[in-house]
Amino acid sequence: MEKKSILIVDDEEVIRDFLFEVLCDDYQISTATDGDEAIEQIKVRSFDLIITDLKMPRVSGEEVVKFAQETTPKSKVIVISGYSSLYSVSQSVNSGASAFLSKPFSIKELLQAIDNAATE
Amino acid sequence: MTLLKFVNGLKLRTKFGIPISVLLVTSIVVITSYLIDRQADGYRRELETSGETMIAILANNAESGVIFESTYELDEILQLLSQFEVVEYACITNKEDIILSEIGQALKGYEQTKPLYHDASDDEGHHDFFIRNEYGQEFIELSNPIVTRIQNLGRENLGITGGLDNSFKQSYVTEEIGRIKLVLNLETVNQSIAESRRTAILIAVVVLLITIIMLTFFVRFITKPVKMLVDITDQVSRGDLTQKVELDQNDEIGHLARTFNRMIESLKHSRDEIEEYNRNLEQKIVERTLELEEIQAQLVQSEKLSAIGQLAAGVAHELNNPLGGILGYAQFALEKLSKSQEAEEVVRDKEKYIRYLTDIEVQARRCKTIVQNLLRFSRSSKTTDFSDVDINQVIGDTITFVEHQLHMNQIQLKMELHKNLPTIQGDTGQLQQVLTNLILNAMHASPPDTEIQVISRFSPALGEFGGTVEILIIDQGSGISHENVKKIFEPFFTTKQVGKGTGLGLSVSYGIVKDHGGEIKVESKPGEGSTFIVILPVQKPQPASDNVSNELQTKN
Repeated sequence: MEKKSILIVDDEEVIRDFLFEVLCDDYQISTATDGDEAIEQIKVRSFDLIITDLKMPRVSGEEVVKFAQETTPKSKVIVISGYSSLYSVSQSVNSGASAFLSKPFSIKELLQAIDNAATE
Repeated sequence: MTLLKFVNGLKLRTKFGIPISVLLVTSIVVITSYLIDRQADGYRRELETSGETMIAILANNAESGVIFESTYELDEILQLLSQFEVVEYACITNKEDIILSEIGQALKGYEQTKPLYHDASDDEGHHDFFIRNEYGQEFIELSNPIVTRIQNLGRENLGITGGLDNSFKQSYVTEEIGRIKLVLNLETVNQSIAESRRTAILIAVVVLLITIIMLTFFVRFITKPVKMLVDITDQVSRGDLTQKVELDQNDEIGHLARTFNRMIESLKHSRDEIEEYNRNLEQKIVERTLELEEIQAQLVQSEKLSAIGQLAAGVAHELNNPLGGILGYAQFALEKLSKSQEAEEVVRDKEKYIRYLTDIEVQARRCKTIVQNLLRFSRSSKTTDFSDVDINQVIGDTITFVEHQLHMNQIQLKMELHKNLPTIQGDTGQLQQVLTNLILNAMHASPPDTEIQVISRFSPALGEFGGTVEILIIDQGSGISHENVKKIFEPFFTTKQVGKGTGLGLSVSYGIVKDHGGEIKVESKPGEGSTFIVILPVQKPQPASDNVSNELQTKN
């Protein structure tokens, strides 16, 4: 069975690297350093899962979520953020995110969220 | 008016001396002249009366001599007069005006200037004249008829001699048979009058001198203490209250001096009291100033903490990213290690573990830096803690905290930082507070999808102007109304809702920038946005770099 594809979008290198490290064995991983780059990649191909940060320079995570929902509605989305307000959580959920993770999150939480998104 | 001015300008001595001297001299001259005139008058009258008496007696005695024209007899009569110095000339004439006898020198070329006290020519034929000769000498000329009584032939026949009894008057007729003339010299009288006049003048002069001397003493007696009073008043007016008027007199001036001393004493007392009050006041002011400084420092600190509260989201975000990495890698490494069955597996993955741990270390250091930055910001500091500050660094640190807030509010941040900004003297934490406040204010005023620009620029030194570093914070927000622009730096002025702002942010920022010797300027148009410009002086001017980025300079 082909590995599921995940797009990791975060301007923070450490987060990107860590996520890659955790998930690379089980998934086919692509990374983007900001929203703009993510949208470019989504245009090219669809991903099973998009894990995106919200706050990024130029194009924000919200826009990535919005774009993904419009172009590849089957893609699941997990939003990760360094600071969560009720507003940002509800915004993410409303725009179609499956889960919202506050940094710092544990590997368990991450894997749980990925599992939940897959079975949705 | 000018006369009054002139008189007022005179010294006391002159002011008193001249009128008193004039009055005195005038009085002496008038009184003496009057007395001398009276005296002269008396002398002349006396002389005339004596002369008249004398001439009347002589006229009586000369009757027979004239009748018989006996020169001898008449000479004898006249000879009686020669013993008197005052007699200048005397003569006896007969009916035909022929001189029968004379003594002395007849006056020549004189005129009878005026009649004397007695009528010049009375019924009985007396003539009295005052005369002055060509040399100015004065004389009295008296002349008397020499008469004889002839029996009235129509009545009784009596002897020609007889008494002067009135009862005989009816029986005799009087016939003038000659005249006797007497010239009396007034020289003696005049000399004595002149002497009196000289004496009078001498007395006047002596009195005048005495008066002047007395006046001088008297005036000095008054002016000397007055001058002393004036001198001491002068010293008192210059603040020397240790002076005292030393006058041991019991008169009005002494009284004045004692009153004056009492006044100085009470002045000194008042001044001491005022100085005492001043000292207390200064002490109070120092205390109050210290209190105020304390309160101000507290205010700055509260405002800073309030800003930090607002920055919590940004701080959390900043910290959570590295913490995410640390937590993640730590868990991942632990998981891997606990799953590893054999040592070889661990050795094989050694490179990975080193990378994880390195990442953990790097991210932990990043957390440390963020916390230090936050602590530096929150630390209360005094204005004396100035050091070299790189404004671009301050902007960068501030942005770290506010970036997330801006992002949450969907506000774009655009930075244009001057590359060769000189350092300024200042306090990093305080300046960061100012910038945080200004950026958060801009953010609160900005609707979503607008932009906030943060620009740093450098105006190089020009003449006395030492050059400045400027920070511009430009928003596209609601702007500030004209009347509010004047009030925004006032404490407790806020347009935000209750609980949203302390109303102290800008006033505290203003105070901080002032402490740095700088200024905050506002340009705003309601509906178009505001520009806040923080201008900070470059205290130690650095050589202006040649590659001053013109594009940044001209940006605004």
